[in-house]
Amino acid sequence: MNDTKYANAVGAVRAMENSLLTKTDIDQLINSRNKAEISSIIQSRSGSSSSESLSDVWAMLRAYAPDCKELPILLYRNDFHNLKAVLKAIISNREPKQYYIEPSNVELSTLVDAINSKEYDELPNYMQSTAEEAYELITQTLDGQLSDSLIDMAALKAMQKSAEECGSSFMQKYAELLTVCADIKTAYRCSILGKNAQFMESAICGSSELDKEQLIRAALGGTESLFSYLEGTAYSDAAVLLKDSAAQYEKWCDDVIMELAETARMQAFGSEPLAAYFIAKEAEIKNLRILSVCKEFGADKETITERMRKLYV
Amino acid sequence: MTNGLVLAIIGAALAALLAGIGSAKGVSLVGEAASGVVSVDPSKFSKVLVLELLPGTQGLYGLIAAMFILLRTGVLGGGAAELTVQQGLGFLAASLPIAVVGLISGIMQGRTAAAGVSITAKKPDHNGKAIIMAAMVETYAILALLISVLMILNIAV
Repeated sequence: MNDTKYANAVGAVRAMENSLLTKTDIDQLINSRNKAEISSIIQSRSGSSSSESLSDVWAMLRAYAPDCKELPILLYRNDFHNLKAVLKAIISNREPKQYYIEPSNVELSTLVDAINSKEYDELPNYMQSTAEEAYELITQTLDGQLSDSLIDMAALKAMQKSAEECGSSFMQKYAELLTVCADIKTAYRCSILGKNAQFMESAICGSSELDKEQLIRAALGGTESLFSYLEGTAYSDAAVLLKDSAAQYEKWCDDVIMELAETARMQAFGSEPLAAYFIAKEAEIKNLRILSVCKEFGADKETITERMRKLYV
Repeated sequence: MTNGLVLAIIGAALAALLAGIGSAKGVSLVGEAASGVVSVDPSKFSKVLVLELLPGTQGLYGLIAAMFILLRTGVLGGGAAELTVQQGLGFLAASLPIAVVGLISGIMQGRTAAAGVSITAKKPDHNGKAIIMAAMVETYAILALLISVLMILNIAV
């Protein structure tokens, strides 16, 4: 009966999905005139859970499915971001708390203690060697960019490895898509900055969807060569968007993840609907943030609509 | 007590046992899903309760078949019949349709009803559709009960 796991959590998540913002709500928010109107629309959603932080959502999901091995993979990006933040804060004698993002699988104090004491085994397995390597690298070279690219690539590899270990095809696809999005972006930046093959080798992760060697070869030939390579892959639409604007490409990246989440909408059991709800909530919070920034800077309705991420409901 | 009677009693026990296990598994699965919904939205309790009850019927069918066997063999009446091995095997075989189908359909109906809980959670107005879909599985438990009862009633004692 393993295929009926998390029936309780999925039931709860399905009930909570009713309070996610819909397209109509987003349209109303875009058309709203002031902050008071925005707050009232958000509050009017049943349960007003739109005001929840992602940490609350995470805590709730973990309470319903504490033994779920797939869910923590969703936070690997945050974990590795926090590792970067703590390393830099320690090196520059700054307070790491302000750069720490939540939710995360690793508490700030654990991260700081492990790095300060160099006892990396206090960290989760997937971070230990990366933390050690990145610390050595940044203290020896003081090159933040190099250590960042090492950590970013380690994050993607850790995601791929954990997703494969837990055998979830949904999480494998999730890790795969995040890797593709990150690799295309890195290859594009490298081609603009004229980075060499050695740097690209250390910054591009590679996946079964997008071959690392071919991507590096294309990026070494400049942006046009990169675009023409991408046009021949399943990610030709990403290449078109990246040519036009980085913002549109970022939206595309978020939308492909949402399309993956949508595949879990019809599932009655398993960890997929839980992961999909977290992804949906993440997108909703991002949409509200974009909306609020756009409103603050007086962006027109078309611009805001264009930037809104795909919704789950 | 003859060997035949022992076989008939085993048949009654199997009908009640396997169909009961199927129902228990089915009901518990729907209960899990329903509790999740109710923990977020308690107003949906009555709607999800109907879905939770559906896989419970297989256990009841198993009980009916077992009662028929016990009545036909006189175990319940106090004057147990002297059954031959052939007669005993007949009762045992008659119990199998509801025992096996009850077990499997109870679990499967539980899955369907638990999936239906999601419909109720998201679109409470469509609760009836979730009930109909789960009730479809019931057909096969009813057919199995029917054949078990017909066999039990027609074994010459």
